[in-house]
Amino acid sequence: MTFLLKLSGVDKFYGPVNKGVHAVQNINMDVMKGEIIALLGSSGCGKTSTLRMIAGFEETSRGTITLAGREVQALPPVRRNVAMAFEGYSLYPTVTVGENIAFALKAARLPTAEVEAKVREVTEMLEITDILDRYPTSVSGGQQQRASLARALIRDADLHLLDEPMGQLEPQLRTLLRGRIKHYIKERGLTAILVTHDQTEANALADRIAVMEGGVLQQFATPQTIKEAPANLFTGTFVGEPPMNVFAAEASDRDGQLQLDLGDGLHLTYAADAFAPDVRATLLARKQIMLGVRPYAVHRDTHGARAQVIANQWLGDQSHIAATFAQGTIVLVEHDRADVAVGDAIHVRLAPEDLHVFDKDTGAALSHGAQMA
Amino acid sequence: MTLALENIVKAFKKDVVLDGVSLSVGRGETLVLFGPSGAGKTVLLRLIAGVIEPDAGTITIKGRDMEGVEPEDRGIGMAFQNFALFPHMDATENIAAPLTARNMNKTAITETVGKIARMLKIDHVLHHKPKELSNGQKQRTALARALAGEPDILLLDDPLRNVDAKLRFEMRLELPRLLKDQNATVIYVTQDYKEAMALGDRIAVMNARGIEQTGTPEEIYLTPANIEIARLFGDPVINLLDVSPVQVEGGVCITLSGVPVNIDAGYSDMVGRDCIIGIRPEAIRFVEEGSAEAIPLTIEAETPLNEKTVTLGLTQNGREIMVSRPAGTPGPSQGTGYIVIDANHIHLFDRATGKRIVPVKTQAAVSQGVAP
Repeated sequence: MTFLLKLSGVDKFYGPVNKGVHAVQNINMDVMKGEIIALLGSSGCGKTSTLRMIAGFEETSRGTITLAGREVQALPPVRRNVAMAFEGYSLYPTVTVGENIAFALKAARLPTAEVEAKVREVTEMLEITDILDRYPTSVSGGQQQRASLARALIRDADLHLLDEPMGQLEPQLRTLLRGRIKHYIKERGLTAILVTHDQTEANALADRIAVMEGGVLQQFATPQTIKEAPANLFTGTFVGEPPMNVFAAEASDRDGQLQLDLGDGLHLTYAADAFAPDVRATLLARKQIMLGVRPYAVHRDTHGARAQVIANQWLGDQSHIAATFAQGTIVLVEHDRADVAVGDAIHVRLAPEDLHVFDKDTGAALSHGAQMA
Repeated sequence: MTLALENIVKAFKKDVVLDGVSLSVGRGETLVLFGPSGAGKTVLLRLIAGVIEPDAGTITIKGRDMEGVEPEDRGIGMAFQNFALFPHMDATENIAAPLTARNMNKTAITETVGKIARMLKIDHVLHHKPKELSNGQKQRTALARALAGEPDILLLDDPLRNVDAKLRFEMRLELPRLLKDQNATVIYVTQDYKEAMALGDRIAVMNARGIEQTGTPEEIYLTPANIEIARLFGDPVINLLDVSPVQVEGGVCITLSGVPVNIDAGYSDMVGRDCIIGIRPEAIRFVEEGSAEAIPLTIEAETPLNEKTVTLGLTQNGREIMVSRPAGTPGPSQGTGYIVIDANHIHLFDRATGKRIVPVKTQAAVSQGVAP
């Protein structure tokens, strides 16, 4: 399969090239036809600038953007054949919500019956059929957002660009609409790039997530890979809720066994062959490392290390347990209701296959599980 | 009882915001006021604080009627949404304000402020003025100031609202311990059901009609008073389907996609009536094709959600069902899947009133081992 969209060496400077603010730094990215991609990061990370360069709202300072077989970075937005749901790319205030959504199809001279059927389908999906006759300014922010999303999704375009598409949705609808939107995009084979600061949204919708921070693409991979093999401490802790547990540790050889000293008198001891030989060698050579373990991978085990419970919060279908551990706090997620109380001592096991090891200074991943990164 | 409200009525011009609200909170208890905006939660806090007066009804604190008692004489600490920090003071001075007012000595003030600031993770910005703080930091500074005074009653109006997701999670875990250490009686307003369940000893669910249900997180989640409350707790939202129970030999059942599903025999009063069944997404399991009572489901999409996998599917009649399972456990991601419903964890609601039907304890129900 070949790529639909390719970003090669894309830079964004606000101000003169090489002198202004370097907001997006040397992004290289291939997107396949039919993929849903999430650009994920906190505010100021460069994700929106990247999306706006793809859309053509922002000049590409350096590099090339290839879409559906042609270089588009110098083309105006209207000639790129992209459909957009953007903040600030608002609905036309002088026509109704329904007319806004149907606008592109009518302009393309589709038969009225077909336009009506498509409008009905997309607005039923987004639960906005009741506001089609109203004007954009008379509906809520959340409804405007969904109308804007409908206007983009109804279009036939090479690429759909969605900026924080569900930010204002009421929580009871959010999970359901994510499922519907994903189904809609996949069923039609659309290619979509969405920008979000919400890692939950990125995980729910995207085939691959591009994690950005400080204008730099930190990792571009499937949600599964980011969960199991985060490229660095940033992606490891940014993606995942509850966030990954991280501890400073010192590795040493104890009569052939591998010992990880977490401070405060806490040692984790592993059999000589628990880690692959190259991982073991790296750990012993580095000595000072950062150790990460996802909350779902922390298991209670009578032979494990001691921790003392400071919170056990039941959320209906998950229990979140926090316990003092080494010099900090460790968080566990259990799906059954956990029968532990504040003050209880529990014992936790950190299995070699669940440990992520990061460089203490750069945060780069050294190993995942018992294997090298 | 530390705090008691009886039949509180409050209107602004013709707009009746609270119409006969009663509430009591015990010493050291954290009561969460949960509900959508516009339900009157903040008005209720302001009445307790004494910033506004009720039109009718009484507020008593430690047995003393608060009518005519000034806000500063009520022994209350507050952190409201609009921060209300003193703009000319830095974060330290803001947090220390209730202590300075009491002439506490400087060393003790520094120690108290430092301890609270570390817990709320604002110790690195203690010398910043409010305008130099982010919204999340302002909110935590206001929270720190409320805690520093060690008041008998603490009123917290959505204090984690502007805090980023990661910190919000950390604070959700740590805040209960801090509140217990202070032994403060707390009223905590939030619109986040996870926060409500995590922090509340009890939750009072409020809407435009007043307080609809008060109970422990378990009671609210497992026995919601009505459909609206069932929908407010849980993510994904509870599945709601129109059904009409039928009497079968040995019990009561409903039909989903042509498959009969036995429910508690105690629902026999509802046979033939218009009902809505509520099935939590985690009370549905994927099973092998051909399993007993298996209902076929066309898989529409799979969306991971914080260590869960959520599947959206359609029944044969085109009704949407969401299924949730722990991440990493098996389940279909496309094509047809088969589900069974845990009959112990369904709710039946009256379609006309929206109220949950409490199953009658019957001999049959007891012998079936079905929980009420």
